[in-house]
Amino acid sequence: MALFPLSSNFEGDFVVQLVVVDDGATMDEVASACAVHSIDRRVAPRPGKVLRIRRHSTGELYPREMLVKNTGLMPTETIDVIFSDI
Amino acid sequence: MSKLASNEYYDLVRTTNWTPRYVPESELFPEMMSGARGIPAEAWESFDEPYKVTYSDYVATQREKDAGAYSVKAALERANYIDDADPGWVSTLQAHYGALAVAEYAAATAEARMARFSRAPGNRNMATFGMLDEMRHGQIQLFFPHEHTKRSRQWDWAYKAMHTNEWAAVAARHMFDDMMFTRDSVSVAIMLTFAFETGFTNMQFLGLAADAAEAGDHTFASLISSIQTDESRHAQQGGPVLKILIENGKKDEAQKMIDVIFWRAWKLFSVLTGPILDYYTPLEHRKQSFKEFMQEWIIGQFERQLNDLGLDLPWYWDEFIRALDETHHGMHMGVWYWRPTVWWNPAAGASPEEREWLESKYPGWNATFGRCWDVITENLQKGREDLTLPETLPTICNMCNLPVVGAPGDGWNVKDYQLVHEGRLYHFGSEVDRWCFQQDPERYKGHMSVVDRFLAGEIQPQNLAGALLYMGLAPGEIGSDAHNYAWAGVGKQQAAE
Repeated sequence: MALFPLSSNFEGDFVVQLVVVDDGATMDEVASACAVHSIDRRVAPRPGKVLRIRRHSTGELYPREMLVKNTGLMPTETIDVIFSDI
Repeated sequence: MSKLASNEYYDLVRTTNWTPRYVPESELFPEMMSGARGIPAEAWESFDEPYKVTYSDYVATQREKDAGAYSVKAALERANYIDDADPGWVSTLQAHYGALAVAEYAAATAEARMARFSRAPGNRNMATFGMLDEMRHGQIQLFFPHEHTKRSRQWDWAYKAMHTNEWAAVAARHMFDDMMFTRDSVSVAIMLTFAFETGFTNMQFLGLAADAAEAGDHTFASLISSIQTDESRHAQQGGPVLKILIENGKKDEAQKMIDVIFWRAWKLFSVLTGPILDYYTPLEHRKQSFKEFMQEWIIGQFERQLNDLGLDLPWYWDEFIRALDETHHGMHMGVWYWRPTVWWNPAAGASPEEREWLESKYPGWNATFGRCWDVITENLQKGREDLTLPETLPTICNMCNLPVVGAPGDGWNVKDYQLVHEGRLYHFGSEVDRWCFQQDPERYKGHMSVVDRFLAGEIQPQNLAGALLYMGLAPGEIGSDAHNYAWAGVGKQQAAE
């Protein structure tokens, strides 16, 4: 368990932001941590949608239960946080 | 006694090259400082420029300029214009002075490098005046805001900003250091005087002078007009240097220097001048939009100058034109949202009337940046000011040292251009920022952005209070909304309840 900084590129927001999570966090937990800094601040909530994480550089969508430490992401690497139906 | 007209002797007396006997030329003009690039001395002696000013004329003219600007200041001082000025305009002045006054003073060093090390005698002569110009600009832009320090500590940042780790000051210093302090005299002539001064300071000083006159701030209008007359003269050094480089087979090298620093200057102006012209200046006093100023001063004039010299438009010109509709809106929102971290009070500029103006100047603004301002406005109206203040840091570009931004809302296109270099992950706000880095990684790779410093533990405690401490921002200096949220239809007190 260690702190792991990521750069959050949140769908609908205007800026990439630093978000520090635990490397044992799931992608759903990462999405929630990123949402704190965008949703209801500059991005309106979208009821009925779930937030998914994808690797910014490749577009690879990560499974929701995947752990940060298993993604191959580098510290501070940018992830997209996108609204999805599933 | 009759006196020779200056055109009868000027070219002769500035021909100050000689053959050194006590040291080799390589010691007199070290390549690292001179940057002659193997071009022979005779070629550099062809340097010519149109002003051909003499020292006595220079002193007389500068005295008149100072007398003009200082007397306008003295005459209007008792009118206390600032006390009744729109808070957005006050913020404009504070942002301008903090970003530029000390940087201009420092530019005397860059001019001095040309004055001492240029292989072109005409360049050395001209740069001596340029050096004196920059000292005047530093002094006058510190003296003018000084009378306001009794009004607020934020005015003190005219002097203080460049001596701190405040993020905007770090960004400005990174660019100025790259352009002015770490280059040989030929590079300074091209990057500082041609690309930056011809291209951009024209706009900051003439664009802002137009808005200042409209806003009734005749003191500031006369000050920056006075400065601009110097800039127009000493900016002429780059053209002749470029001509010599091109004639001697160095066009590609010259082009690259222009391409790098033009983009860097654009990014800095997107955070400094863009918000001022499109958001801070009161609506009724806006002469033109930032984009319109850019189109007139940069796209119109700079493009023509490049063409006249036989140079090409920077390779990223299409991207630059596209970014004119977008980048500064993102920079403005970033400055406003992270407002406690700047030394001025950002004006949101997002009232219904202002939004209408923005939509007319930038079609699509409401569906993109407007979407974020919708949420911000609603939060303020609901009394949730806390949601309009930051709880983390933006990711910072490792070239421009500004936040990585793009269009939000329906046109969401925010992109981080990442690069792994020697095992370190770098972030860039655009493909061009990354390209600049790749042209000379050795030059840039060691710099730590404010976020890098935060993650390295240099900022303690690791929260907003620690960040403000690190940036030198004390109570009374940290920024807040310029109009106490009146633009959102609420007062600050109401929002806090």
